[in-house]
Amino acid sequence: MDQKTRDDLLKLFQGKLNRAMRFYLETCSRCGVCTKACHVHESMPHVKYIAAYRAEIVRRIYKKYFKAQGKAWSSLGESKELTEMALEELYEAAYSCTGCRRCMVYCPFGIDTQMIMSIAKLLLVGSNHEPETLTLLADTSIEKGRSLEMFKEGFLQGVKNLEQKVVEKWKLEAGTTPIPIDVEGADLLYVALAGAHSIIPAAAILNAAGEHWTLSFFEAVNFGAFVGDPTKTKLIMNRIIDEAKRLRVKEVCICECGTAFRVMKQLSGEQPFKVSSITEVHARYLREGRIRLDRNRFKEPITYHDPCQMARNAGVIDEPRYILRHITDDFREMSPDPKYNWCCGGGGGLVAMGEETLDFRMKSSSVKVKQIQETGAKIVTTACENCHTQLSNLNDHYKMGVDVRFLSSMVADALVQS
Amino acid sequence: MQTVYYIILVPMVYFAFGVFVAGTAARLISLFRKPKNPSTLEIFPQKGPKFLGALGQTFLLPTVRKHNPLLWVFLMTFHICFLLLIIGHLELLGDFRIFQIWGHEIFLGGGFVGLLLCICLLFFLFRRFVSPNRELSVPEDYYLLVLLFLTMLFGSEMDWARRWFGYGEMLVEDYRDYLMTLWHLRPMLPDAVTTSGHSFMLVLHVFFGNLFLIFFPFSKIMHSFISLPVNKLKRG
Repeated sequence: MDQKTRDDLLKLFQGKLNRAMRFYLETCSRCGVCTKACHVHESMPHVKYIAAYRAEIVRRIYKKYFKAQGKAWSSLGESKELTEMALEELYEAAYSCTGCRRCMVYCPFGIDTQMIMSIAKLLLVGSNHEPETLTLLADTSIEKGRSLEMFKEGFLQGVKNLEQKVVEKWKLEAGTTPIPIDVEGADLLYVALAGAHSIIPAAAILNAAGEHWTLSFFEAVNFGAFVGDPTKTKLIMNRIIDEAKRLRVKEVCICECGTAFRVMKQLSGEQPFKVSSITEVHARYLREGRIRLDRNRFKEPITYHDPCQMARNAGVIDEPRYILRHITDDFREMSPDPKYNWCCGGGGGLVAMGEETLDFRMKSSSVKVKQIQETGAKIVTTACENCHTQLSNLNDHYKMGVDVRFLSSMVADALVQS
Repeated sequence: MQTVYYIILVPMVYFAFGVFVAGTAARLISLFRKPKNPSTLEIFPQKGPKFLGALGQTFLLPTVRKHNPLLWVFLMTFHICFLLLIIGHLELLGDFRIFQIWGHEIFLGGGFVGLLLCICLLFFLFRRFVSPNRELSVPEDYYLLVLLFLTMLFGSEMDWARRWFGYGEMLVEDYRDYLMTLWHLRPMLPDAVTTSGHSFMLVLHVFFGNLFLIFFPFSKIMHSFISLPVNKLKRG
């Protein structure tokens, strides 16, 4: 690696060194309490998958260039130069971590490994070593925001084709526009994912609740966050913020995508609208009596997988359970404390990288499979696209024999007339 | 030899104390001047008041108790004994009524505080020789533990000699005299401190203690100051 590249990367590194990051990099005592925290390590017990070890890969570079100790007595903290080989180590550390932050629950200091890994991901972006797939997806999202007019016609036609299916699910209030788009002054802007599965059930429920809503032109998922590029993350998020402001909506409702929800909820800052997840919105409709669900619609035992970015990292924990109590009498918890729920193994961009990571995702998540099997449930439901894909892959790979469902689709299927 | 004793017991003490205070202050100021994280770093669910929760996490180490109870026993013992040790050293500088709410000889603990600390440090050291802690550890971890162990071993030996074996040539009053002259910037070494049979223990204790203080601001021991604000981040 030439000096200029290294200097440029170190500038990126320095840009990440805010107070919290410095705390995290300075504090670890390498006590090893986090050893049992990571699902990857529990499934494949190699030292390199211990949270503290991953963080140490970044920390050693930090010591070398940003700490007096590393400059004066390099071997003391095993500080390390930023080289091509270091980038390879950073890649393995960053893309074997799903950013579930379960290790934070174990750590006596509460060190956030996901945040430390964001340095690794940024250095990989800066040196063009990041996964190409994620960058391509992020760039496509950004381009769509810039050239909406080009995509608009195709999108509107696609939505038109879905409307009949929405009417089939819920006829009463669907009216002439079962999927309203670009409605100025709507109360709620629903931001879906690309795909009918994210739009049809949601539209049916929103219509059933009599919501004054509108569908976003943009997909919720933030590939910028997966790849760890803060500029792209912001650009992708801003498309939705701008649309929400233009339409003067009171609430932005993010579909079943954990990362999209957390990014919008925690990074959008002070805005004239509130940010909710679709799970929170459904729970609210139930509480307010705006929708009713058939408790006998599903006969088999159901368990719920808490998406890490929604539950442990954003606090949406009670709402899915409240909904499930209206759908079934046989709900089975995976973990006595949702804080300790195992990650499905698909986060951090791993699912978005597709086949490239499939083998690793299957091997690194056996502990999740065990957790699901121990519930004895026949239906596994979740509220995150990534988790759904990963759980479906696990279901096929380990022949678990369960039905993996989106929570919103179960709500839509269980809707009953008032 | 007297010159070496003098260098360790006087100028090196001032130097170490200066590096400790200035270094720690500079590190803390530099850390707290950095901008805050733009988003919350909280994890959920959280119960109870946030600050109290962070205090509990910092001082009671509930996550260690849950996931590694044996380590927790040693960590709690170590930190409580360390606190008693700090109180003991403060009492050499003056009479603090608050510390004498229950009457005791200086130092607290009848020699057992030092003994427990040494045992804890050996536990911390030897657990680092076992995988996976071995792979996680860096030389700093071992050096610090060895340094602390040596500091405490020589410090405690003086206490044990005096309390358990009736050694009467170097008493608490002698340490007090020595420390008070340092404190008042008129350093003098009482004869008992430099010429008694156990002088070398005091000199080694102070020497390793000095090294520890010099090392402190540049090491992970800064967690003594950062642990609470870091835990506060987790609580939101």
